[in-house]
Amino acid sequence: MSSPISHPTDFPDRFSPMLVKELRQGMRAKTFIAVFLSLQIFLAVMLFSAGAASTSEHVGSVVSSIIFTLFSIAVLVVQPLRGTGALSSEVKGNTIDMMVLTRLSAWRIVMGKWVALVSQSALLFSTIIPYLILRYFFGGMNLVAEMVFLVVVFLTSMALTAVTVGLSGCHSVIIRSLIPIFGLPIGMWMLLMVSLSSRLMGSSDFMEAFNLDSTESRVGVSVYLASIIYVGGNFLSLGASLIAPAAENHSWLRRLIAMVLLALVFLVGFHPDVEDEVVVLIVAVVSLPAVIIAFTDSSLLVSTVCAPFTRRGLLGRGLGWLMYPSWASGILAGLAISLLALVSMVVHMQFRGNNFDEEELVALFAIFGGFLFPAVWQVFLFKGEGQRIAHYLMLLVGSFILAAVLTGLSDSMDSGAFLWVFAWHPLAFLAMLEEKSMPDSFMLAAVFVLDLVLILILLIKVFKEMAAAKPVIEESLSNPPEGA
Amino acid sequence: MSALKVDNLYRYFGSLQAVNGVTFEIPHGSVCGFVGANGAGKTTTMRILATLDYPTLGAAEVCGINVVHRPAEVRRLIGWMPDHFGNYEHMTVLEYLDFYARALGYKGAERRKRIQEVMDFTDLVPLADRFSNKLSKGMTQRLGLGRALLHDPQVLIMDEPAAGLDPKARVELKHLIRVLAQEGKTIFISSHILSELGEMCDSLLFINNGRIVHHGDAETLKRGSDSVGGVLYDVQVDGDPQAVSDWCILQPDVKFLEARKHGGRIRIDVDDPAKAADVLARMIKERLRITEFHREQRNLEDAFIDILGRLDQGQEALTPPPLPPAN
Repeated sequence: MSSPISHPTDFPDRFSPMLVKELRQGMRAKTFIAVFLSLQIFLAVMLFSAGAASTSEHVGSVVSSIIFTLFSIAVLVVQPLRGTGALSSEVKGNTIDMMVLTRLSAWRIVMGKWVALVSQSALLFSTIIPYLILRYFFGGMNLVAEMVFLVVVFLTSMALTAVTVGLSGCHSVIIRSLIPIFGLPIGMWMLLMVSLSSRLMGSSDFMEAFNLDSTESRVGVSVYLASIIYVGGNFLSLGASLIAPAAENHSWLRRLIAMVLLALVFLVGFHPDVEDEVVVLIVAVVSLPAVIIAFTDSSLLVSTVCAPFTRRGLLGRGLGWLMYPSWASGILAGLAISLLALVSMVVHMQFRGNNFDEEELVALFAIFGGFLFPAVWQVFLFKGEGQRIAHYLMLLVGSFILAAVLTGLSDSMDSGAFLWVFAWHPLAFLAMLEEKSMPDSFMLAAVFVLDLVLILILLIKVFKEMAAAKPVIEESLSNPPEGA
Repeated sequence: MSALKVDNLYRYFGSLQAVNGVTFEIPHGSVCGFVGANGAGKTTTMRILATLDYPTLGAAEVCGINVVHRPAEVRRLIGWMPDHFGNYEHMTVLEYLDFYARALGYKGAERRKRIQEVMDFTDLVPLADRFSNKLSKGMTQRLGLGRALLHDPQVLIMDEPAAGLDPKARVELKHLIRVLAQEGKTIFISSHILSELGEMCDSLLFINNGRIVHHGDAETLKRGSDSVGGVLYDVQVDGDPQAVSDWCILQPDVKFLEARKHGGRIRIDVDDPAKAADVLARMIKERLRITEFHREQRNLEDAFIDILGRLDQGQEALTPPPLPPAN
C-alpha cells in the first residue's frame, strides 16, 4: 500500500458535491481572478483620486456612479457570461453521463453550478462594501436607495446567471452566446423600467425609484424582484431538463407553478388597488417563459415518468398529458397556459371596463400566434429527438426580425398591401396594424383563423404522438415504481 | 441469474437502427469482450445497460434489475467507463475523486478510505496533486477506472478503454482488468484490439449492424469451427515445389502458399476436421513427404473478418434477430 494521501479539508460534507466542485474550479479560474483584482484596483485608484478632489460638491455621487458601474459590469456582464459554458462543457466533455450515474440529479447539478457562480458574485459584492463605507464620507449619499439598488443589481445578476446557466445546456452556440449577450440585458432593463415606470415618471433622479418610501416604489421593486426570481427559476429548471436523463421529469413542477401563479394573479387582480397594466405585465412575465419552455420540451417519454400519473386513474392519465416532459405534452401544456393567460387578461380588462378594442385584440392574437409559429415550423424543419429550444428560439428571433423589417418597409412605402403576402405569419399583422390598409375587424378575423390553423396543425401532430406513446403508457401501468 | 441480460433489444434513432434485436447473457464473474466495427451498435448497447439511454423496444437487466424501470438501483451496481471523457480544469486528481465520492454519497472518513483504496489500486497516489486535465491518456484512463470503481460496483462496463493508449499504458490497464476479474467482478468491455480481448476475456460477443453475429469463447474462435469460418491446417511438404504446387491445384480445400528450397508450404481450409483427415490420407497416398502438419491458431481479427465475410455471402447471423417491431 502507498503512503496515505492528505485529503482536502476545504469544504465540509454538508456542502453539495456540485457546489464544492464548482467553487474549487471557479475560484481558480483566470476570469474570476482577473475580475476580482481589476475591481479592487479600479475602486482603490478611483477612491484615491476622489479623495484628492474632495473639495467638489458632486464628488460623492460621482464616486457612487463609478462604484455601481464597475460592480454592475462585473456581476451583470462578466459573471453571467461565465455561466454560458457551465453545462455545455460537461456535455461536451462527456462528464455529464458520469455525474448522472452518481446520486446527483440534474437539478442538483444545475443548482450547484449556479450557486457557485452566485457565491463568487457575492464575494465581489462583499469586497465593494469597504469602498461604499469610505464613499459615505464624501457626502450626498441616499443610503437606502443606494443599498436597495445594489441588492437589486445583485439579484438581477443572480437571475441573469440562472438564465445563462440554464441555456448553457443548449447544444446551439448561437443561442448560448447571443441571447445572454444581447437579449437578456435588454429584456431585464425593459422589465426594470416597466416595473418602476410610475415611480420614475415624476422623478428626475433614477435612484429615487429605489427609496421604497412610496407604494409605487415598493410595488415596482417587489414586482421586478419576483419576476426575475421566477424567470431565473424557470431557466434553471430548463437547464435541468436539457441534461436530465429521460427518467427525470422537471417539466411538471415548472408548468404547475406557472398555472398556479396565473390562477393567483387572476384572483389577486380583482383587488381594486391593482392596476390592469400590472396584471397584464405579470401575466405576460409568468406565461411567456413557461410557454416557450413547454413548447420546446422534447424528452423521450419513458414508463417511469408516466407511472406517477397513470396510476391515479383516468384523471391522472389526462393530467399526465399536461405534465410529461415529452413534446406532445409540452404543446398541450403550453396551449393550456396560453389560454389561461389570454382569459386572465381579457377578463381583467373587462372587469375594469377597459375592454380590449379590436386593434388591441389583433395585437394580442398576433403576439400569441407569433409564439405558436416557431412551434409549428420546428416540427417540419427539425426532426428527431434533438433539443428543440435552440431551433424554437432561432425561429422566434427570426420572426420578430421579420416583423420589424415589415413594419419598417410598410412605413417607407406608399401602400401596405404587400403585407398580405406575409399573412401566413401572425407577427405580420403587427405591421398591418400600423399600416391600417384593412379594417381592424377583418384583420382580427384573419389573425384569429391563422392562430386556429396553427393550433390545429400542432394538435394533429400531438395526437399522433400520443397514439404512438400508448405502449409506454400501458407499460407504466404494469411496472412497479422504483424502490417498491 | 445473469450479471447482464439483454433480451431482444432495439434502439432506433429516427430511421437509423442502431441496435436491432440484440439478445445475450453474461454470467456473474466473467469477462466478456464486445467486438464490432464503428457504428455497429456497441456503444448504444452499453449505454442502455448503463442506464444512459433507453431502448426503443426490448429489455435489459443488470443483476436481474430492469435498467428502464429501476435505473437508480442499476446505477449502484454498475461502474461505467466511457470511450472518452474530459477532465476538469483547475481540479487535481484527488479533488476529482473527492467530488465523485461525495456525489456517490460517501462522507468523512469513509470517503477518505475509499479514495485511498482506489488510488492505491490504480496507482494514482503519486499523481494526487496533479491537475486532472494535465494527465496523459494512460493516466486519464486510470483515473476514469478509479472513478468507476469508487462505489465498488459488481459490474464494470468499459467502452473502448484501451483506445489511444500507448503499449505500456495498455499493459497496465490489462493488468488492472485482470485483477478486477480475479476479484469476481463482471466486466463487459469493448475494444478494437481483438488480440488483447482474446487474452482477457472468457467470452466474446461480435456485433455487426446492430445484430449479434457470434457469442463464444476466444479459444473456439482461434481454433476455428464450423460456425466460425472453418478449420485451418498448415502443412510443410518436402520434394519438388512444382510437383507439390501442381498437386494442390487439383485438390479442393487446399492452397499452395509458398515454395521452399526443398518443397513447399500448403494450407488446408476445411469446415470439418474429418475433411482434413481425408486430405492428409490423399497426400500420403500420393507419396508426398509431409514434414510438418499442425492445426493453425487463427487470430481473432481473421475470425471476425471470416464471420463478416460469411454474412456478406448471405449466410444467416448465428443468432438471427426476431422480426423488427411495428413502427
